Amino acid sequence: MAFYLDLSWISKIQVNKPAVLRRAEQIQARRPVKKEWQAAWLLKAVTCIDLTTLSGDDTASNVQRLCYKAKYPIREDLLKALNMHDKGITTAAVCVYPARVCDAVKALKAAGCDIPVASVATGFPAGQTHLKTRLEEIRLAVEDGATEIDVVINRTLVLTGQWKALYDEIRQFRKACGEAHLKTILATGELGSLTNVYKASMIAMMAGSDFIKTSTGKETVNATFPVAIVMLRAIRDFFWKTGNKVGFKPAGGIRSAKDSLVWLSLIKEELGDEWMKPELFRIGASTLLADIERQIYHHVTGRYAAYHDLPMS
Amino acid sequence: MAATRTASRACEIFTTLEYGPAPESHACALAWLDTQDRHLGHYVNGQWLKPEHRSSVPCQDPITGENLASCLQAQSEDVAAAVEAARASLENWSTQPGAFRAQHLTRLAKAIQKHQRLLWTLESLVTGRAVREVRDRDVPLAQQLLQYHAVQAHTQEEALAGWEPMGDLLCSCRSDWSHPDFCLLPPGCTVVVLAPPASPTPLLLAQLAGELGLFPGILNVISGPASLGPVLAAQPGVQKMAFCGAIEEGRALRRTLAGWGPELGLALGAESLLLLTEVADVDSAVEGIVDAAWSDRSRVRLLCSLLIQEAVWDETMRRLQERMGRLRCGRGLDGAVDMGARGDAAHDLAQRYVREAQSQGAQVFQAGSMPSDSPFFPPTLVSDLPPASPCTQAEVPWPLVVASPFRTAKEALAVANGTPRGGSASVWSERLGQALELAYGLQVGTVWINAHGLRDPAVPTGGCKESGSSWHGGQDGLYEYLRPSGTPAWIPYLSKTLDYDSFGVALPSTLPAGPEAGPAPPYGLFVGGRFQAPGARSSRPIRDSQGSLLGYVAEGGAKDIRGAVEAAHQAAPGWMSQSPAARAALLWALAAALQRREPNLVSRLERHGVELKVAKAEVELSVKRLRAWGARVQAQGCALQVAELRGPVLRLREPLGVLAIVCPDEWPLLAFVSLLAPALAHGNTVVLVPSGASPIPALEVCQEMAALLPAGLVNVVTGDRDHLTRCLALHQDIQALWYFGSAQGSQFVEWASAGNLKPVWVNRGCPRAWDQQAEGAGPELGLRAARTKALWLPMGD
Repeated sequence: MAFYLDLSWISKIQVNKPAVLRRAEQIQARRPVKKEWQAAWLLKAVTCIDLTTLSGDDTASNVQRLCYKAKYPIREDLLKALNMHDKGITTAAVCVYPARVCDAVKALKAAGCDIPVASVATGFPAGQTHLKTRLEEIRLAVEDGATEIDVVINRTLVLTGQWKALYDEIRQFRKACGEAHLKTILATGELGSLTNVYKASMIAMMAGSDFIKTSTGKETVNATFPVAIVMLRAIRDFFWKTGNKVGFKPAGGIRSAKDSLVWLSLIKEELGDEWMKPELFRIGASTLLADIERQIYHHVTGRYAAYHDLPMS
Repeated sequence: MAATRTASRACEIFTTLEYGPAPESHACALAWLDTQDRHLGHYVNGQWLKPEHRSSVPCQDPITGENLASCLQAQSEDVAAAVEAARASLENWSTQPGAFRAQHLTRLAKAIQKHQRLLWTLESLVTGRAVREVRDRDVPLAQQLLQYHAVQAHTQEEALAGWEPMGDLLCSCRSDWSHPDFCLLPPGCTVVVLAPPASPTPLLLAQLAGELGLFPGILNVISGPASLGPVLAAQPGVQKMAFCGAIEEGRALRRTLAGWGPELGLALGAESLLLLTEVADVDSAVEGIVDAAWSDRSRVRLLCSLLIQEAVWDETMRRLQERMGRLRCGRGLDGAVDMGARGDAAHDLAQRYVREAQSQGAQVFQAGSMPSDSPFFPPTLVSDLPPASPCTQAEVPWPLVVASPFRTAKEALAVANGTPRGGSASVWSERLGQALELAYGLQVGTVWINAHGLRDPAVPTGGCKESGSSWHGGQDGLYEYLRPSGTPAWIPYLSKTLDYDSFGVALPSTLPAGPEAGPAPPYGLFVGGRFQAPGARSSRPIRDSQGSLLGYVAEGGAKDIRGAVEAAHQAAPGWMSQSPAARAALLWALAAALQRREPNLVSRLERHGVELKVAKAEVELSVKRLRAWGARVQAQGCALQVAELRGPVLRLREPLGVLAIVCPDEWPLLAFVSLLAPALAHGNTVVLVPSGASPIPALEVCQEMAALLPAGLVNVVTGDRDHLTRCLALHQDIQALWYFGSAQGSQFVEWASAGNLKPVWVNRGCPRAWDQQAEGAGPELGLRAARTKALWLPMGD
């Protein structure tokens, strides 16, 4: 992994909010995906989900349920009807708090699969703890078996324009992760402007993030299309400048199957097909999977599913 | 069996992740065509009109060429029937109280809402346009426009007091049903639409209106070739002809309709310019380009040119080309398609242009490759085509975009304004100061800052220069169809014998007529701030009503007009940049000077045979006019609030440029001042031809202006009026012309104005009551003395 620090990449950037808002509105109506295309795209979305539970009341039992749902995201007979039962359709990862990583690793092992466990870290969700404890948090999660770490950035550094300091912090996160993948959460709802979103994205990528992620799901504003457009443009610019492909993960507030289709088409439009795979695109969600399964059910059977027709997570 | 096929597809799509078809069902459009047995006539007076023995043209699917229906072509009898129906319903309609008409318009808007799927599938089916543009833009806009007009109708009696509907209106809408004036039903007018051959959507709309009952004849649609336009205009009672189409068609129509009576409103071409500066959000600007050029915004060919600052040229090109690769061409009825097909003719035109441009050294970029027999033409970007290459001068066909670089903002303005057209433009810059300077400097009707193609019924849309000067939407759009109360209806004043080639060509020779009695009037042409000898070096005698000689005035000619226009152009930038307050101060100073000169002016008027009392009143009123316009100009322009936009839209009132005025013979001082004052107040520089019979009072005023006004601001040329009118009307660098004189002169002016399509205001040989407030100083003069520009300022960071 190469590292870059070139502040000229962010000094001249201009992001026009009204224009980005318009584009965000357009993208939602311009690429409808129907019929078998819809079914296939929805299955693709399933494979990109970081199935998440981030609650104060998480225990071993609900984490275990989540892990089994990650392994069997869509009812077997539905996949069979689509001839997709042998394609190894699982979610991309399971995402939990650091203290639950052990539970998740154990449950997934029991289920007999190698779905990665992702852990949030670095004082999630506010990031307002000492750097030392934040780094320690990463190391502990990795020790427990997490292979993907979702870190939150220090918003103070963004809002006060300390880009170099932000770069240094993320570099340290990167180091602490070791072999684990680093997903950097920008908490875009708290960055103040789209221009800041672009700059923070660029810094996070320069410091070696494997993914940049919109939000923690705990801010008042979560994954929105305008923010995504700006981050995707930053990813493309970074790719053009360095040849490195960085992944993108929207999280928070993505609940409907229709939303997930729009997200996929947004990726396709802004970055291209090569980004439409779990290595470069993730959706952080918990209830989305249930809606996708309902849609697949409808596609296969022609009927709308009752709540009890589909197993809970 | 079907299940497995589906399944295997899903498996394959899971890997390729391609887009699938997302067709809109057009069954309802076909069912509607079936109700007419696939044979469409005209919709007149609430009924289908299918006369016999008419030729018909097929309405075809532009991609498959499949025959959808046949459409009857109107002949002049059908035109007459439609106009008759419109006239018959006019009285009933226009005498209804505004509130009642408002209700009716609202019901029509509701009817559109209820049947919108039929509307958008029909339109997309027959035109091949991407359905989402019709569905998400055109249909809602049509509804909003009707709502807007309903609201206007409701408040019309109060808000537009002093104005009345023009009455029977004719609107020839060449191709774009979404063009607002189509379904607009302006306040109190009834409409006949000449729809282009094979376009059923207008007919459907008329049927929706007709089936509301009550006023079936207010919207009548006939379809037929554009050549029927003049036939329509010549129908008795037609007061206004609105035309949207190609520039050359508009020019021809302007010539044909000279002298026919109806006022002509032209909205020509559809040129769009995008100006991309080095401080732009390039990615967003690229989206703007896609919106403007490759998203099927309108059915008319949309000329799109691109100016990119050199510093960001490479970056923009890279992003644009990358983006072009993601555009999708396909059947318009597919919801996931960006661009449809426009038929073979458009395809060939684009192909020819590309070949031509390449032969002139241009770089042509097309994303992906299209099989040669495909009905679709790929989005195409042409660069390296400097302004001097013949291709740049020609009309750029759809879907091509020509990009050129510029170095500085000043150069950008020079390039952008260096075309005869002036449609709409967008400026992409994150620096507010720069963006505003460019927006104010562009000679166009609409400017969007960091956006493109936004529309709202409350914002006027129009153009300037050869793009035509008629307006749609907003207050300006309403005034297009109103006239001051009490104005008589227009009737044809055509003189069939008028020879345009010889009108005003020859100068009558004038001979010495003896010595002047009394004080000699100021002599010379008032050009560039001083009195100059005429180029012809000859003079014409001016006599009073009894025939005795009052003096000689200079005989101006073509060379003098040229000089005067040049002087006016030189003075224009300085005068335009003056604040309204500074302009007002100057007008007031002129008023004071006139007051000082009152005895002199009164005696001049008396010598022309005006009674003392009347002469005194005329001078007094002239002084008042100058003061009044000076005061009025302070309140110009306004900000509009628009739905769906955060931020204001400014309605700017900008000077026309060089305005030529041929003053009437009557009221030699008052008419001169009444016309001059609003022109100056709105920032124009002026070339005037004073009263022919009594030019001397105007020359007296010039003596004051020589001392007070900047040189070239006002230029007064005396001489043979027909000759001077000819020179002015044919001058390409005069931006507007007001003519008050003979019917023949008016007809000539209308005909000759087709050259640069300058807006003209002619009196058709009818005298005007210059001493009355409404006719001498009414809001009509102010409206005509400036042009509108809508400036969109979206906000947010």
